[in-house]
Amino acid sequence: MNINRRSVLGLGLGAAAVATLAACNSGGKNDQAVAGDVPTSGTLTVWCWDPAFNIYSMNEAAKIYQKDHPDVKVKVVETPWDDIQTKLTTLAQSGKLDQLPDIFLCQNNAFQKNVINYGDAFSDLTKGGVKFDEFPPAVVGYSTVDGANYGVPFDNGTAVQALRIDYLEQAGLTMKDFTDISWADYIERGTQLKAKTGHALISGQSGSSDLIMMMLQSAGGSLFDADGKPTIAKNDILLKSIDVLKQLQKAGLYVEVNSWDEYIRGFISGNHASALNGVWILGSVQTAKDQSGKWEITNVPKLDGIDSATNYTANGGSSWAVSAGKQPALANDFLKSTFAGSTQLYDTILPKAGALANWMPAAKSDIYQEKQAFFNNTAIYAQVVDYSAKVPKNNTGAYYYEGRDAASVAMTKILKGADPTTALDEAQKTVEFAMK
Amino acid sequence: MTTTTAARAVPSPPTDEVGRRRGLTSARRKSLTGWTFLAPATLLIVLMSFWPMFEAFLLSFRTGRGTRMRWADPWWANYTRLFDDGIFHQTLANTFMYLIVQVPVMLVLALVLAVLLNDRTMKLRGLWRTAIFLPCAVSLVSYSMVFRTMFSTDGMVNDALLALHLTDHPVNWLGNAVTARMVIVLGLLWRWTGYNMVFYLAALQNIEPSTIEAAKIDGASDFRAFWHVTVPQLRPMILLTAIMSTNGTIQLFDESWALTAGGPANGSKTMSHYLYELSFQNNPNFGYASAVSYVILLLVAVLAAIQMKVGDKRD
Repeated sequence: MNINRRSVLGLGLGAAAVATLAACNSGGKNDQAVAGDVPTSGTLTVWCWDPAFNIYSMNEAAKIYQKDHPDVKVKVVETPWDDIQTKLTTLAQSGKLDQLPDIFLCQNNAFQKNVINYGDAFSDLTKGGVKFDEFPPAVVGYSTVDGANYGVPFDNGTAVQALRIDYLEQAGLTMKDFTDISWADYIERGTQLKAKTGHALISGQSGSSDLIMMMLQSAGGSLFDADGKPTIAKNDILLKSIDVLKQLQKAGLYVEVNSWDEYIRGFISGNHASALNGVWILGSVQTAKDQSGKWEITNVPKLDGIDSATNYTANGGSSWAVSAGKQPALANDFLKSTFAGSTQLYDTILPKAGALANWMPAAKSDIYQEKQAFFNNTAIYAQVVDYSAKVPKNNTGAYYYEGRDAASVAMTKILKGADPTTALDEAQKTVEFAMK
Repeated sequence: MTTTTAARAVPSPPTDEVGRRRGLTSARRKSLTGWTFLAPATLLIVLMSFWPMFEAFLLSFRTGRGTRMRWADPWWANYTRLFDDGIFHQTLANTFMYLIVQVPVMLVLALVLAVLLNDRTMKLRGLWRTAIFLPCAVSLVSYSMVFRTMFSTDGMVNDALLALHLTDHPVNWLGNAVTARMVIVLGLLWRWTGYNMVFYLAALQNIEPSTIEAAKIDGASDFRAFWHVTVPQLRPMILLTAIMSTNGTIQLFDESWALTAGGPANGSKTMSHYLYELSFQNNPNFGYASAVSYVILLLVAVLAAIQMKVGDKRD
């Protein structure tokens, strides 16, 4: 039998069955637990996913915490994000919350959805002593529900525009021509660059709305309002963003690719002259060792004709969540003393893993001012930290993924020639239906 | 499935005398032994498969996100919701497109290959058979990713087409709904044709060669002998493969997930892919997801029943 195919239905049915078990759980607040006495010993289990990045950072944090708390052990279990989401969903639905780890990393865009649905699984960290005002408000916003904080921000999703300076030079342009500009300027200068060098500037995965979402947030726009109602139809900022993308495509500056590998290949092969994404994309940029010294970064273009437009936005990023399970007080103290309180930690993980602090006091460290050889001896980390404080806040809410997917469908249709207003109206209806 | 296994495991009533000494007829005793062997598996299937299915059925009458579930009002609301769900309609249409295009082509191809490879005079027969069967030993996700790479804009297929001057500019295979579905159908054909061929090969071993010889002596051409003698004898196997393929295609997930990611604009997304999104990617709506899974179950059951009605000529 075609076991693999059948198992999918089995999975759906099985997981669905699990849901009935705990169908009566009510959402509750766990805001007292983190403020309790902190035990001096114990083992903290952590789920996160990238050995070169967040797992490495967590292990370094453990070393720092253990200096003062020698009896506390940290056990990191490598778990891909998709698995964390699936496990969290199944465990929370079936009420087996004791099987969650003490700490897990959660994508910022999925944070509110999970807290709203599975409030029982999360510890409210508001009264735990973490100084949330030491993080950029846009970043803290992802893990804040009804004014309560549920996450300690980890990875910084601030958007950067990385450009090949050698290509710019060939076209008689400089980094200045791409800094603090609007998309109209971008198209003009990009066209000049393409005419002289033959290189397109950026690419995006077909059906992925990353670029649109970044443009939207750069002007403080969201797919939802503060009450969580979808604002896709008649959303001027969204319309403008899709229009910009259409112009970029028409001018041949934006190239659509089909997979993530193809996207990465686009710039590391020297085919595309730039990469525009969350700062974490620089990790991939730097895999092109032969291009050392040929890259620099700057902020992103802003939308024309929109009052709230800025040159700053974000994509991705994640925050640490403390499960309500066994040792919330210890887990909270651990995060408070490391990711929200140790300059030393960020000084270690920045050069080794490229993990950029969201925690603002860390950015004062000298290490952020160090010039990076790959980026033509510019202090890119100081630049990014500067951008990150200026990123406008956006609303994600519980239906972020539905909204994003509906917007991508609309975007794909519009790029193929559909009427923008109709396509966005349809997307609005799709999301409203999903919310019914 | 369970019934056929049961029928096989319970031996036919024998007539020896040994059993009577203990007050049980031998037939009963053997029957009991059979049921004892069956019991553990049956129990496990009931517990791990049927009970969750029953629970899911109940769940399909509940509504709410995450753990905040309540009984739907009216209780069939999740099922009527399906009628208004544009994405569900699209995934249903996509899935049926795969079914209608891919299954007949695959089964005919498998049958032709099986007959060709059943030729006793063919050289390297084992090698060909293995080569054609081998794709189904490949994991679904791996082959999906290989196909995605092959059909990417700068992939092997476009390189080949450009080199042969069949096209001037690369085709965006996965960026266009029609071609994206075509790539999935191609992938399915590559992955499953050999699998079905093996069933036909096995069935062909049971066909008495003299029946075909007799037809040929009576003056039948190769094709007529195949169509009027071989195919009718393969009927039970054709029925089996048709039901299995229908079942598999309606539940198609991996290709939609890993090859095209459902795109562009939901153009190649399958029902199971949508079901997964409803449960684990979107704001979890398990009640509605269960209703979708029951519709899939119903479709599989109805189609299998029709096929058995049409295809099974045993009385």
